[in-house]
Amino acid sequence: MTRRSLIGTLAVLLAVGLLMVLPGGGSAQQKVAKIGMSFPLTGADADSADSIVKGAQLAIDEINQKGGVAGYKLEAVVFDSATPAAGQYDPAQAATNVRKFVSDSQVVALIGPQMSGEGKAISPILSEADMATITPSSTNPDITDPKFQSQYRPKGKAVYFRTVTTDAFQGPNMANHAFHNLKVKKVYILDDGGAFGVGIADSFERRAKELKIEVVGRDRLDPKEADYKTILTKIKGLNPDGLYYGGVQQAAVKLARQLHEVLPKIHKLGSDGIYDLAFPEQSSKEAAEGWWASNASPDVLSDKKAAEWINTYKSKFKREPINYSITAYNGVKVIADAIERTVKANKPVTRSNVRDAIQSANLKNTLQGNIAFDANGDILSKVVSLYQVDKDGKFVYKGVAPEK
Amino acid sequence: MSVAEILLQQVVNGLALGMMYALLALGFTMVYGIIELINFAHFSVFMTGTFFGLTVLHLMGFTGSSASLTGLPLVGMLLLVFPVTMALTGGLGVLIERVCLRPVRGVSGTAPMITTIGVAFILINIVLMIWGPQSKPFPKIIPDRRWAIGQAEISLAQIFLAVAGISLMLVLNFLVKRTALGKAMRATAQDMDAAKMMGVDIDRVILLTFFLGSALAGAGSLFFGFYYGFTAFYIGYQTGLRAFTSAVLGGIGNIPGAVAGAVIIGLIQALGGQLLGVKWTDVIIFSILITVMVFRPAGLFGTQTPQKA
Repeated sequence: MTRRSLIGTLAVLLAVGLLMVLPGGGSAQQKVAKIGMSFPLTGADADSADSIVKGAQLAIDEINQKGGVAGYKLEAVVFDSATPAAGQYDPAQAATNVRKFVSDSQVVALIGPQMSGEGKAISPILSEADMATITPSSTNPDITDPKFQSQYRPKGKAVYFRTVTTDAFQGPNMANHAFHNLKVKKVYILDDGGAFGVGIADSFERRAKELKIEVVGRDRLDPKEADYKTILTKIKGLNPDGLYYGGVQQAAVKLARQLHEVLPKIHKLGSDGIYDLAFPEQSSKEAAEGWWASNASPDVLSDKKAAEWINTYKSKFKREPINYSITAYNGVKVIADAIERTVKANKPVTRSNVRDAIQSANLKNTLQGNIAFDANGDILSKVVSLYQVDKDGKFVYKGVAPEK
Repeated sequence: MSVAEILLQQVVNGLALGMMYALLALGFTMVYGIIELINFAHFSVFMTGTFFGLTVLHLMGFTGSSASLTGLPLVGMLLLVFPVTMALTGGLGVLIERVCLRPVRGVSGTAPMITTIGVAFILINIVLMIWGPQSKPFPKIIPDRRWAIGQAEISLAQIFLAVAGISLMLVLNFLVKRTALGKAMRATAQDMDAAKMMGVDIDRVILLTFFLGSALAGAGSLFFGFYYGFTAFYIGYQTGLRAFTSAVLGGIGNIPGAVAGAVIIGLIQALGGQLLGVKWTDVIIFSILITVMVFRPAGLFGTQTPQKA
């Protein structure tokens, strides 16, 4: 390198350095803590993903308006985990996104994922990085189950925290509801082949058998298949009075449509995988009417104390929230609280310290009640709530699902 | 429902499926018959066709929640929307041939086939850009009327699918067997150079073959939309792959073979789902395909003679 070019390079470096220092001005001291979010923002589940990410964004904006948390400004980094090839969430893409978060040292914790299929792919990566995520909606119990520790958290410490309960309760409680309230005698069970769908359908099936509901069959829908008339005709021949579907939107909208043609009168049971405000619109109101959906969190939307929150959300984002918008909002609150306690304890705000602080979180009186986690990362509250689609295509709260 | 009634119902379902696969399979088989090219872009032409149909219906004021039509308005509507959509997909097929395939015609090896795969992906991404990744409800303009056969039932949409599908195939058969164009197509299929020497305009014949095949796929697109009530960017692959399998099963290049193959695949799908479970659908279909290929490499109705169209 000649002397002239060396000087030139130094000048450029100096200028860049100045630029990086200058514009900060007074707030230059304020440090940034990034929260990574990987959600299927395109594809079949785009609508629910959007409503969840906005819930988290609302919390971040509110905290920053009050001057951040313990000297840190929060910043969201949002990536899409859906791919055109999958048409919905793609576990491989979710893993790629999380590796990007891991390589950015300013990212202290994550919100997400939405889907358990993504969760199974990213949990081991997080364990290696000793970074916590708080999922507002992923409910497959295996991910946090100590039995599968070597698979999902090889380093041992819990990294997958949830502000919702798991399908160990969601599936069985829907079976309880079917048995006690709807008096279902014979049920057919379908899943969509995803990690979440298969898991929750299994847990529903086990509980249904314990309750002596006759399970007349079990089959798997290909979410990319258009024709479900074959399987529905087969189900019609078995004459069940209930149908349980474990899975997410892509298969659900087609199933609802064709079920309405073949078996309109059967009890239609779903999970939080179909609790998506676009479900009635994409499958048509008539087809969606009567579908039951569960939520792995207490009902907050029809609770009076959330009214103000809902108004803020609606006026800010011009759309309706879902319950998981609130569990995502609370997820950010948990991370902020963890950062605050880390700073107060005079520890550096590293991923590892933030994870430890999240583990010992104990938030009182949030919109969904108290939030604290067990040693595996599962929330202590185990409430599952029930919804049914009415004739106008709206999800209406129908109470807490029976626990026995 | 008795066992017989369920099986009858599955046969009805299977025939409807087969009819849809047939309209697509014809496009594969015609193009292969003429230029011995497996045209994978056909998957995406079919998928894009559903969005053309959707747009045409939207322009005429029909949305996902519109009420169905009856009587003359229904017939008028169908007579309008089918030709327009078929012309659009036919045009798309012509465009693909002219822009992407003619420059590589005669190139030996897999280049033309890879080109068609590339075109398929380009179309999928264009659709994603314009219409987005969510599935879109298709207007249900055909009323939900059904007739009972015992406990089994057959719907108006299924009857319409069968009648219109068979009519289109008869028209195609007439075109290929009885017209000058058909004679030119058959001549081109048998020996392109000899046909050229006899004064057949090869370029025009190939272009028209793409037009006809793609237009039939367009009709298939509308049947898909009306029958299932939705469309999405990903539907081309699965339906297209089964249609392609039908064409191979029937003997690729053979027009009646493609139709027969499609009906067989449709029936296998419905009855296999009934007897074994829908999660095995593709396993069943492809096992049967492989078995047939082992014993009859030219397909069920294919012959080893150069007579293809």
